[in-house]
Amino acid sequence: MTAPLSARLLGGLIVIVTGLVMLVPLAVVVAASFSESAFLVFPPRGFSLRWYGEILGSEAYLSAAWTSLRIAVVVTLLAVAIGTPAAIALSRPATPWREPLAGLFLSPLVLPTLIFGIGLLMTASLFFGGPGIGGLIIGHLVICVPYVIRTVTAVLSRADPRLEEAARCMGAGLWQKYWHVILPQCRTGIAAGAFFAFNISFDDAVVALFLRAPGVETLPIRIYSQLEFSPDPGVAAVSTLMILVSVLLVLLIDRAVGLDRMA
Amino acid sequence: MSDRITAAARRESLALLAPGIAVLLLAFLLPVAVILVTSVRDPAGGLTAAHFAKFFVDDYYLRIAWRTLRLALAITAVTVIFGLPLAWIMVRAGPRLRFAIMLMVILPLMTSVVIRTFGWLVVLGNGGLLARLGEFLGLDGRALVLMHTETGVVIAMAQVLLPFMVLTLLGVLRAIPRDLEEAARTMGAGFWATMRLVVLPLAVPGIVSGSLIVFALSISSFITPSLVGGVRLPVLASSIYQSIGGSFDWPFAAAQSVLLLAATLAVIIPYTRLARGRT
Amino acid sequence: MLDRRKFLSTTALAAAALATPAVLRAQENRLVINSFGGAYEEIHRRLVITPFEQMTGAKVEVVTAYSADMLAQLRAQKDAPQFDVAHFSGGLETQAAIEGLLAPIDPAELPNAADLYDFARAGLSKGVGPTYSTAVIGLLYDTGKVTPAPSSWNDLLREGLGEHVLLTDAASNTYGMLGLLMMNRVAGGTLDDIGPGLDFARRLLEAGAIVVSKSPEIQQNFAQGVAWLAAYAQDYAYTLTKAGLPVRFSQPEEGAAMAPITVNLVAGRPNRELALKFIDFSIRPEAAAGWAEALRYTPTNRKVQLAPDVAEQVVHGEAAIARLVQFDPLVIAEKRAGWNEQWKRLLAR
Repeated sequence: MTAPLSARLLGGLIVIVTGLVMLVPLAVVVAASFSESAFLVFPPRGFSLRWYGEILGSEAYLSAAWTSLRIAVVVTLLAVAIGTPAAIALSRPATPWREPLAGLFLSPLVLPTLIFGIGLLMTASLFFGGPGIGGLIIGHLVICVPYVIRTVTAVLSRADPRLEEAARCMGAGLWQKYWHVILPQCRTGIAAGAFFAFNISFDDAVVALFLRAPGVETLPIRIYSQLEFSPDPGVAAVSTLMILVSVLLVLLIDRAVGLDRMA
Repeated sequence: MSDRITAAARRESLALLAPGIAVLLLAFLLPVAVILVTSVRDPAGGLTAAHFAKFFVDDYYLRIAWRTLRLALAITAVTVIFGLPLAWIMVRAGPRLRFAIMLMVILPLMTSVVIRTFGWLVVLGNGGLLARLGEFLGLDGRALVLMHTETGVVIAMAQVLLPFMVLTLLGVLRAIPRDLEEAARTMGAGFWATMRLVVLPLAVPGIVSGSLIVFALSISSFITPSLVGGVRLPVLASSIYQSIGGSFDWPFAAAQSVLLLAATLAVIIPYTRLARGRT
Repeated sequence: MLDRRKFLSTTALAAAALATPAVLRAQENRLVINSFGGAYEEIHRRLVITPFEQMTGAKVEVVTAYSADMLAQLRAQKDAPQFDVAHFSGGLETQAAIEGLLAPIDPAELPNAADLYDFARAGLSKGVGPTYSTAVIGLLYDTGKVTPAPSSWNDLLREGLGEHVLLTDAASNTYGMLGLLMMNRVAGGTLDDIGPGLDFARRLLEAGAIVVSKSPEIQQNFAQGVAWLAAYAQDYAYTLTKAGLPVRFSQPEEGAAMAPITVNLVAGRPNRELALKFIDFSIRPEAAAGWAEALRYTPTNRKVQLAPDVAEQVVHGEAAIARLVQFDPLVIAEKRAGWNEQWKRLLAR
């Protein structure tokens, strides 16, 4: 089916405008990272790589990056392990209290993360002897699980429920049913959910702001601190590196599952 | 016999749900309960409505609440308006264009909100990229300075949240069989009519869940609105943060968050009902 | 109940096991403190933390937390404090002391306290730790744009500056609040009545003043040539100067406000001895001189000697310090919430 010229023009315009809006703020940050001057300003003055040298030699940035990475990996694994079975159950008509449970599982999405961070901090202090990396992981987990549930549920809602029925009729055991029938159906949903989960955990500055503890400083908190107190192009350099990592990650995901299957 | 099967299926479902429910109880319902309790407790430990009353003492906080809702709705609308055609183009485009659009949508999603917002400060601010562009076009020096304006907040937030809309819509639009559109065209419907009568109705579940996420994320974010909007355009989330970090009034912060939650639910519940009715 | 709690925390620990850094293991000879991040923290390490570790063999764990966050964390951890030493700027230590989050210190426990100016050790018995440096709030101006140089708070209202005057949010930024209190004082107000200060600010807003909440925005506005004159801190003027901007600090004739930076002993922690040693180490003259040199904070130790180029940019010495205005942190702590409400209503469009 071919679209009329008006639709093509409009589509082209939307793609271009969106492209500018999406990418220009990032381009500005990348450009600023090569600045010679000691403060962030646009257009950047001069060209220099010195900020990259500084951040790569900075113990504080490196250890924060390592902390963020470990937390994000743990959170992603746990979110998939907990979210996938929940999504499978929520997709079945036979599941008792399906509607209220679905609402409950998605409710962390509508609760402001800020408040959630405060609530977690107060809870951790009241019952678990103060905030720590465990609290931070659990905090991220709760905001990440709904994304896994959403993406897996979305995939399952389009899957054929009779497949599962057929598997049972043909005598497949419980594990066989999950391994050969249900989980393959969920695959793209799991990948998308894991992608979201990793990103949310790695990006989060809000929950981490309240649940950080001695020795637990994530990269966004490090950057936030730097922006708050003494911003220099080093912050732009760090984010440029993060953008590079993202590009790599996106390409890897494309290799693995196909980028257009991510939704 | 069928009762036994149903009971087994129920047990299976509950087993699947158990770990999730455990995490929710421990790490979600408990913190929410702590906030609810904090919002109605007086210093002596008794019950009080004083923290809520403070919100209604004059129209200051009500105006903040109204701005929060208005901005969230505008942001949601913008992401639908741009996200829907974008997602449809991706579904119908060749692999190269699809990949390019995917990359441009996903890249910002992968960078820290703090950094993206900083980029916007430089683009929208005084002497920023947009202001320079305005000067170049012969406009008044401050005409295109969108820093500390609601328009600026909507643009910056839409960039932050568009990926969530597009990725959600993509999954739904892809499931629409091409044959359906072909059939509509064969039966004489024009391009726009096909969009309106076939694609749009089938996209509704995606629009609804995408809007849900975008609305919830925009209503709860405070880094972008407070940096781009500035202190003169407070939203509820930044007001709550201020109550905690500036005034140290935790009970009032708790009360405000309870109200924010209630307002969110008041918009989202009818919205989901409406969507369910249409499908 | 105890068992269940134990079980739950064990579960949480197990979940975190992969990610738990070794530094979290309990250690006897270990202090947990906060610092303010960024360049401040680096200098803090160089002047105090690292030398202290070398001298005592203790391990000092540093958490980045600004005053407001620090107070929030101390409050949340009231029953199980995790910090030994808390650094505050801008008066929050008084609030924390009132709430019993900080422990009183006997001046005799701090040998270096004898060299401090009186104001810097006045609160020890009440739980307010010593002031090891102080920021000074006056006027920052672009030397190319504001001529003659500002010499009074009333210069903020000078004809033709209107849209180029920059104010800092008084509700979220302590320096902003101190600036407002100085305007209030100059306009004839008192801590019991900040009406004149709010009127002063209203006139600035009506003339088109920019309002920001974070220091990076001040830098950006000066860098872009939008801001010419701002009420802010002496140390930040130096940050801008270092960044190559033609910005200088001016101490107005009516005086400038003091924003003390304190080092406090957290209540209810086991290693008081080591924490006191750290606090005493923080107030020795070498540290104060280092702060003045690196960041242009005003020293509070009488024995500090400053190099000429540093002395030129830093308010220092007994006579000059006597002219600084210190607003009563107790009154501020008591009234600030009310001021914030008034200030927010003044600002909101």
